[in-house]
Amino acid sequence: MAEARTLVLQRALASLVLDPEGETFEDDPTAFALSRGLPDADAQSFRQFSEGLAAYRELARLSLLDPIETMFPITKTLLVREDAWEACVDAFLQARCVASRHYRDIAPAFLGWLAETGWGQATRPYLLELAHVELLEVLVARFPGAEPPPGLHPDPGLQDRLVLDPATQVVSYRHAVHRTSEAAPVPEARPTHLLAYRDGEGRPQLMDLTPAAAALLVRAQTESLGEAAAALGLADLAATTGLLKDLRERGAIAGFQAAS
Amino acid sequence: MAPSRFPGQERFTGVGLGLRRPHLEAVAARENHGVPFWETCPENVIGDGGRPHRDACAILDRDPVLTHGLAISVGGFDPWDGDYLRDLGRFLVRTGTPWHSEHLCFTSVDGSCLHELLPIPFTREAVRHTVARARDLQARLPVPLLLENITYYAELGAAEMDEAAFITEVLEGADVGWLLDVNNVYVNALNFGFDPKAWLARMPLERVAQLHIAGHKRFGTLTVDTHGADVIDPVIELMQWTLARLGRPVPVLLERDNHIPDLEDLLAERSRLQAAYEDILAVPVRGGGHG
Repeated sequence: MAEARTLVLQRALASLVLDPEGETFEDDPTAFALSRGLPDADAQSFRQFSEGLAAYRELARLSLLDPIETMFPITKTLLVREDAWEACVDAFLQARCVASRHYRDIAPAFLGWLAETGWGQATRPYLLELAHVELLEVLVARFPGAEPPPGLHPDPGLQDRLVLDPATQVVSYRHAVHRTSEAAPVPEARPTHLLAYRDGEGRPQLMDLTPAAAALLVRAQTESLGEAAAALGLADLAATTGLLKDLRERGAIAGFQAAS
Repeated sequence: MAPSRFPGQERFTGVGLGLRRPHLEAVAARENHGVPFWETCPENVIGDGGRPHRDACAILDRDPVLTHGLAISVGGFDPWDGDYLRDLGRFLVRTGTPWHSEHLCFTSVDGSCLHELLPIPFTREAVRHTVARARDLQARLPVPLLLENITYYAELGAAEMDEAAFITEVLEGADVGWLLDVNNVYVNALNFGFDPKAWLARMPLERVAQLHIAGHKRFGTLTVDTHGADVIDPVIELMQWTLARLGRPVPVLLERDNHIPDLEDLLAERSRLQAAYEDILAVPVRGGGHG
C-alpha cells in the first residue's frame, strides 16, 4: 500500500488507546512503537511525545466509556463491587466493537458485545438482562419515528390483529432486572415480562405484564385476537380487548387491522 | 480564494452557538433567543428519533444552521459509508447550510471508531493521502467542505514538516475552505510553545469561512481542549486579532460540550463574545491573506 507508514502509525495509536499494553506504554514508548511495526525514527518520536500520546489513551477511553457508565449505572455498580468493571471495559475496548460514527451507538455496542461474547455471564446469569433493561428505555425513547401502516382502527375486534407502535418492545427476562437499583444490583430470579413504549408526550414508560398478556401481545401481531386468545386460553375476551384498548390509548399500540 | 466561494455565507455572521441536547426543548419553544445561527452535528441528528429529535428538527427547519461533522475520519483509511454520505447529503440540503465542516484528523482505524480527534502524521505521505480523501469527500457532498484544525497533544511519528505547513498543504492541495478554531491554535501554542499570532500569520487566511471558539483546561503540564469552561480573555483577544486580520465578518461559533450551563448562562456568554466581535469589526480593517 502506498500510504503504509501513515496507516501503521494510526494503527499504533489505536492500539495504544484500546489494547491492555497501552496501560504501560510510558514505561517504554520506544519498545511499544517497535512492537507495532514502526521504524526507529517513529519509535523515537513516540518516546519524545510519550506524555501527549498517553493523554490520547486517557481521553479516547473517557470518550468511549462515558456513555457506557451513564447508560449502565447499575451494571457498573454490580461489577465494581466485584472488582470486575475494569476487566469488563478493558475487554470491550480491546474487542473493537464500536464501529458506528454515532456517539449514541456506543452503549448499544457494549450491550451487543455482552450478548455476543457472554462475558461475565457464567457466574452472573442475569448480567446481560440487567444491561438490557438499563438501555431499554433509552432505545425506546430514541427509536426513529415511522409512520404506522394505513387503515388502522382504534378499537380491537376479534378478527383483528394488533399493530404495535414502532418504538414499542415486549421483552421477557428470567430475572426481575427492572427492580434492581445501585443499592441492590443483584436481581431476583423470577420470570419477568415488560412492555416498553413511548407515551403521548414521547417519554419512555415501562409496564409489568402477566405472562399471558405478554404472549398475547406477541401472538396477536401475526394472528387474529380471537385465535391468539383461544390459543392462550384467555376466556375473558372483554378484559382482553379492554387491555388492548388501554394500551392503544397509552401509545403502546398503534391500532388494529383485519387479520388476513 | 474569493469569499464568494461560499454562496449563502452572507446569511451567517456574528456569534452562534452549538445546538446541544440539554437545550433542545427550550430553544424549540423560543424563537426570540437572539442567536444568529446554530451549529449542529449531523451524526447526532441523522438516524435519531424521539422527542429531543423532533425538537432538534423543528429548530433546524426554523433557524439558520451550519453543520459540523465529528467522526467521518478524513485522514483515516476506512472506506466511506455510502449510506451515511447519502443521508448526510440530504441533511445538508435540508438545513440549507452554505458549507459542511469536518475535522482535519482521523477517528477510525480498521473499522473501529475511537470517537476522538486523533492527529494525522505531519508527513508528505499523510498530506498526499489526506488531500486525496478530502477531494473525494468534497466530490460526494452537495456543499463546499471546510476542514478544521484540531488540538493535538503529540506529533504522531517523526514529522517532516510542522503543523502549520501540514494544514496549509492539505487545505491548498484539496482546495477546500478552513474552519479556523482559534482556541485550538491557542491551546496548541501553549502545549508546543509557539506564538499563536505568528503561527496564524503564516496561514492561508483567505480560505477561512468560519471560526470556532471555546474554553479549555490545564491538566498537569498539558492543556486540553475541553469545551467545558468559559472562553478566557486571551482567546477572545486572539479571535479579535484574527477577525481584524481577515477583514471579513466571518461567523464565529461558541462550542460548549462539557459542563454545559443553563441556556440563559450560555446566551449571556454568547452576548459577551458578540460584543467583542462587534467591537473589533467596528475598527477599520487591515485585510487578510498570507503574512
